[in-house]
Amino acid sequence: MSKFSAEAKVGLLVVAGIVILVFMSMRVGDIGFSRNGGYSLYVLFDSVTGLAEDTSVEIAGVEVGRVGKIALQNGKALVTLKIRPEIRLTEDVSAIIRTRGILGDKFVELIPGSSTSPALAEGDTIKKTISTIDMDMMMSALGDVANDIKKLTTSLSNVAGGQSGEDALRSIIDNSREMLETLNKTVQENNEDVTRIIANFSEFSEQLKEMGNANSEDIRMIVANVRQASEMVEDLMLGMGEITAKINNGEGSLGKLVNDEETVENLNAALASLKNVSEKIDNGEGTLGRLVNDEETVENLNETLESINDFLAQQERFKTYLDYKAEYLTDTSDIKSYVTLKIQPKEDKYYILQLVDDPRGKKTVTEYTRTDKNGNTTYERVEEVEKDKLKFSAQIAKRYHDVVLRGGIIESTGGFGLDYYLFEDYLKLSFDAFDFDPDTNAHLKIGADFSPIKHIYLTAGYDDFISDNDTDSFFIGAGINFSDEDIKSLMSGISMPVQ
Amino acid sequence: MLRLFEFAGRPFIYLLEEFGRILLFLLSIAAWLFRKPFRLKEILKQMEFVGTNSLVVVLITGTFTGMVLAIQSYYGFRKFGGESLVGATVALAITRELGPVFTALMVTGRAGSAMAAAIGTMRVTEQIDALYTMSVNPVQYLVVPRVVASIIMLPFLTIVSDFIGIAGGYFVGVKLLDINSGIFMARIYDLLVVDDIINGLIKSAVFGFILSLIGCYKGFYTTGGAEGVGKATTQAVVMASVTILVSDYFLTAVMF
Amino acid sequence: MIELKKIKKSFNGQKVLDDIDLTIEPGKITVIIGQSGGGKSVLLKHMIGLIRPDSGKIMIDGVDTTTLGEKELNEVRKKFGMLFQDAALFDSMNVGDNVAFPLKEHTKLKGREIKAIVEKKLLQVGLKDVTHKMPSELSGGMRKRVGLARALALDPKIILFDEPTTGLDPIMCDAVDKLIVKTQQETGATCIVISHDIDSTFRIAHTVAMLYHGKIIEKGTPEEVKATGNPVVRQFIERKVEDNNF
Repeated sequence: MSKFSAEAKVGLLVVAGIVILVFMSMRVGDIGFSRNGGYSLYVLFDSVTGLAEDTSVEIAGVEVGRVGKIALQNGKALVTLKIRPEIRLTEDVSAIIRTRGILGDKFVELIPGSSTSPALAEGDTIKKTISTIDMDMMMSALGDVANDIKKLTTSLSNVAGGQSGEDALRSIIDNSREMLETLNKTVQENNEDVTRIIANFSEFSEQLKEMGNANSEDIRMIVANVRQASEMVEDLMLGMGEITAKINNGEGSLGKLVNDEETVENLNAALASLKNVSEKIDNGEGTLGRLVNDEETVENLNETLESINDFLAQQERFKTYLDYKAEYLTDTSDIKSYVTLKIQPKEDKYYILQLVDDPRGKKTVTEYTRTDKNGNTTYERVEEVEKDKLKFSAQIAKRYHDVVLRGGIIESTGGFGLDYYLFEDYLKLSFDAFDFDPDTNAHLKIGADFSPIKHIYLTAGYDDFISDNDTDSFFIGAGINFSDEDIKSLMSGISMPVQ
Repeated sequence: MLRLFEFAGRPFIYLLEEFGRILLFLLSIAAWLFRKPFRLKEILKQMEFVGTNSLVVVLITGTFTGMVLAIQSYYGFRKFGGESLVGATVALAITRELGPVFTALMVTGRAGSAMAAAIGTMRVTEQIDALYTMSVNPVQYLVVPRVVASIIMLPFLTIVSDFIGIAGGYFVGVKLLDINSGIFMARIYDLLVVDDIINGLIKSAVFGFILSLIGCYKGFYTTGGAEGVGKATTQAVVMASVTILVSDYFLTAVMF
Repeated sequence: MIELKKIKKSFNGQKVLDDIDLTIEPGKITVIIGQSGGGKSVLLKHMIGLIRPDSGKIMIDGVDTTTLGEKELNEVRKKFGMLFQDAALFDSMNVGDNVAFPLKEHTKLKGREIKAIVEKKLLQVGLKDVTHKMPSELSGGMRKRVGLARALALDPKIILFDEPTTGLDPIMCDAVDKLIVKTQQETGATCIVISHDIDSTFRIAHTVAMLYHGKIIEKGTPEEVKATGNPVVRQFIERKVEDNNF
């Protein structure tokens, strides 16, 4: 163990800690995945008892999204479902709240409809919901049953209680016994007949019940419809009779048309030529026909459309940000400012170009060693500070979930940095290390950016904290940032009155 | 009658005085925290002492905590067929409570006591006075680095302990008690959220602050020679442990 | 130049220093004698600002240190070097780092230059090749020497010695006495020594002052003090001699 320096040991533990934290957060949470993209659907349930936000939305047991906000609307529960972008749902999809396991975790299940129905898009509402008997309802139903049973037993006990009740009960029992005995005898005598009768009876009643249950509404409606239909048929017959009479007499335009020989011939000719044209197109004759019939054309067209789509999509993802930040250095009461251009071709990758105005300027150090005649050695350090010189940074950055790794040129020297985003990107902790001069300590900087509202953030930290030139300082500051979209809309807003 | 009050009231007044002294001590720490020079080398040294040197102890306690938790919850859950929840129970209990608290208690025993002993010895051998005579503030030189290092290192120790504890639970649950590994992990992913881990780590940072504050405080105000140092050390461990457990309740009440 | 004016100090209602007026001559060795636990150390700690008086003034080169804030007081303290009773070496550091400590704290010297100064100061107190030893490996006398080297590191104008010979064997006592005298001669610093060792006191002192029941009851050259008529002082001097024989 003693082979490692204190720095190495502490560093190892810190790195291991960060790795474990990121690993566990990634495995446990769904940071960065479900929040990116996807679309929201709404659904109205009568009751969402036990359903929590951020529980899963499933189709056939596969998670396709998460439950978003749950709100009240007109006495019903309005639930937002955040569905993954690649999941296509149609209008006739239905939603059910289901219970998982005996512990009763609630989730939303979607039952897809036919694939031919129109697709649902962002903001649409799922109209079909199926209410299921959940544990609560079952429990309350069971409670009712229990109550009934209790009532029954109460009245029974009332009846049975007391001397008179007891007497009555005894006589009932006696009667019953007698009856049973008689019945028994009868049954034994007529065994076969009775069996048959009972069977028939049960069959009949079964059928009756089925019919009555299943079709009572239908039957009633059919009867009504038949009645209505027969009335209409009667009317129709009357009208038809009149019309045919008129046509036959050549009255009215239709009558004339039908009766005129010439018209009929013209019509036939027109139909024939139309048929001819469509046949030609079908056979690939003529330009239009060729176009329509050529497979290649269709493919080309499709490809073109696709590539246009791709291009547009890429343009969509390609973002640019402009950022200005000022840091007030508490030790020297100076302001260090940064202008940053961030180019982000992909969601998780970007480039940083930055100009830094550092009041401490650029420092160059020269060290002289002199030996005088007595053999004493003296050291002299000459430090030159060029004020008013801008420093330049160019970094490439890649984001892994909540962690951004950066590297490249930082303040005109080589360096690297690390950002850690917290609380849905409201807070950014960052660490920079650069200026690795072997003679002096590297320039290290830690800081935190907090962005309470869009476009604006506050920053604080400790710059150059292991400096051996006494340039270390706390800083506080603020910054603003805009994306190209913001700038565009800002520009159009400005130019409007000019037009 | 008056004496009775005096008798009953004395511990209470003593407690108040102690509390007041700690607050004053805390104020001077806060004041020196932002004054130059910043003793990064000292902080690093303390980070090694509090952090990496406590790692083995923390790893051992973490592993066995997870293991015993898995066994106990297994026997409980088996009674109604909920064995699948063993993983989640272990993970939740460790990330929220046991990881931060046990880590803090172990570090208190190891590093908190050492802080009290080291600073206490420096007090009784006039090393603290020597610092003053050399124009170095002992709070800044001795106390601030220990407090800062503890606040920084405790979360790192805790996350390692969390991980190894869940791994211990996994070993017992899956390898020894034959719970299906897929279900074991799936329940953890279902029920554990990032906030559980993060809140546990925030807690541990607070515990780090408490144990270093009390360790340094007891050491700093040591009197009575070598015997006094021993007393200060014992008191520091007891007081820090109790404070950690009490504050744990309030932190939990506020956070979850 | 150190002047104490009407210094009063009590601990828990018990008067330790009662109206002390004392002027220390610069560039001389002043020894303050008195009984153990009689407030000598307290008096010394007042001079360097470790303890603040209940009332009175402490003038260091014309500045009253009793009213200074910590920052200004630290500037004044840089004029001082103090050797504690048990040397008060930092036991987490080796000898070299102990001596280098004030240099690292208060100068911008590079490592090599500090190393050179440390060697020089250790040589000055008669130590060689000890820089890598830990304080726990040293004997009492060596610890005092290292403590003195550390006190001398910043070339102080005033050096305070708290019971430098306590706990040392007679030979070592003699060596330490010689070291104090030699150091004073080489640096020309003002030395203030607290002692209850009469023999040692008369060997090194330019001026002797006696503290008794919170007051300075005698002050003068060793000869004057030896010839004093004050019975308390006489008793102290003579009893001390007897004690040594015993």
